[in-house]
Amino acid sequence: MNRERLEWGIIIVLAALMGAGWIYVSRDATPFTGPTPVTTAPYVLGNLAPDFTLTTLEGEEVTLRNFTNDSGQPVVLNFWATWCPPCRVEMPYFERVNAKYEGRAAVLGINQAESVEAIQEFATRNGLTYPLLADRDMKVNNLYGILNLPTTIFIDKNGVVDEVLIGTISQAVIEDRIEQLLDS
Amino acid sequence: MLPYINLGSIGFPTAPLVYIIGAWVSLYVVDRAARRLELDAETIYSLAAATLISGFVGARLTFVLLHWSSFDDNLLGILWPLNSGYSGVGGVLFAAAATYFYARWKRLDLWTVLDALAPGIISWLIFTSLADFLGGPGFGALTSLPWGIEQYGVQRHPVQIYEILVGLASLGVWWLATQPERRSLDGRAFLMTTAVYAGGRLFVEAFRDNAWYTTNGLHVVQIISFVIMLGSLLLLAWRSSYSPVKPATES
Repeated sequence: MNRERLEWGIIIVLAALMGAGWIYVSRDATPFTGPTPVTTAPYVLGNLAPDFTLTTLEGEEVTLRNFTNDSGQPVVLNFWATWCPPCRVEMPYFERVNAKYEGRAAVLGINQAESVEAIQEFATRNGLTYPLLADRDMKVNNLYGILNLPTTIFIDKNGVVDEVLIGTISQAVIEDRIEQLLDS
Repeated sequence: MLPYINLGSIGFPTAPLVYIIGAWVSLYVVDRAARRLELDAETIYSLAAATLISGFVGARLTFVLLHWSSFDDNLLGILWPLNSGYSGVGGVLFAAAATYFYARWKRLDLWTVLDALAPGIISWLIFTSLADFLGGPGFGALTSLPWGIEQYGVQRHPVQIYEILVGLASLGVWWLATQPERRSLDGRAFLMTTAVYAGGRLFVEAFRDNAWYTTNGLHVVQIISFVIMLGSLLLLAWRSSYSPVKPATES
């Protein structure tokens, strides 16, 4: 019995030492060497989000880098269209989240291929005030390889794509992810 | 890698499909494990189903409670959409509670039950890794190793594939530990499988890029795995030393 206990003791001490050692070593073993920029790739997780400039309904130019690199804010990109019912479900959530995190995180709604007039009418009818960007020629939609609507992309303070969620998401999920990005 | 399967104009999100298949496979595996251990397969299957459902409901309810301010004016939001918004910790706690109380209700020995559930739990974790690989947020660290996979224009560690390999190795350990001539101690197969899986995850988590870190840069999942691995080994040592050992059966 004593021999068995001794063997177990050796196994547990060895496992503890190796485990703790690996945790310590791997802290620096695979340093984050930085993402590689890409210009055209679908689902650009882990890489720098492709930069773009689009105009709001008021004609103001919005550039992604102004939020991430210049202001150090996480950004939520929501790709949507007025004809997409699941998109319409979550738009009030983005409205509320934008108000809650104004100045700390940016929420940008990127429309898919519709006219400024159609977007404007939709925004007025639904009381949407967060930045809705027109992408009439699909440049940014194609840049991000958007195939399904809605698609929501979470970008961290350094401009790296952290997560892509496809389909309707709840307000709680949006807030949860923003909090994680603010804490990271 | 493949977040959506588009069939004509209809798109199916991959991860939820993998989770549904994973649930079915895990229950099937538990059924087979119960038969291998010569237990009442029907009762163990019901227990596993209760565990799975409790885990799902618990994960959702915990998330809702943690974010109640987002749900209190939108109660329907608790039920839909369900494609995101779960708490892993809540799911595990509810599933563990369901296992414990169901086993007590049916007067089953908890260690025997855990021996039968172990391959189902590992199968579920394997499918979780697969869902993460196909459509989830996880991705590996940059690498130039030949088995690195091309993701989004750069070469990365296939960290979820490593996780799947760890899961398969754990299933192998469970299989060996449940050979008739080795079944001398209830709970041994569960504890050995858990220790091997936790140790493996401790190792491969180092190659994840968007990991969950402590403020001083340690991987949180590694620390959790470390605690589970040591806990399993300590319980194994304690049970081996103090529990009555059953005579092994002949194969």
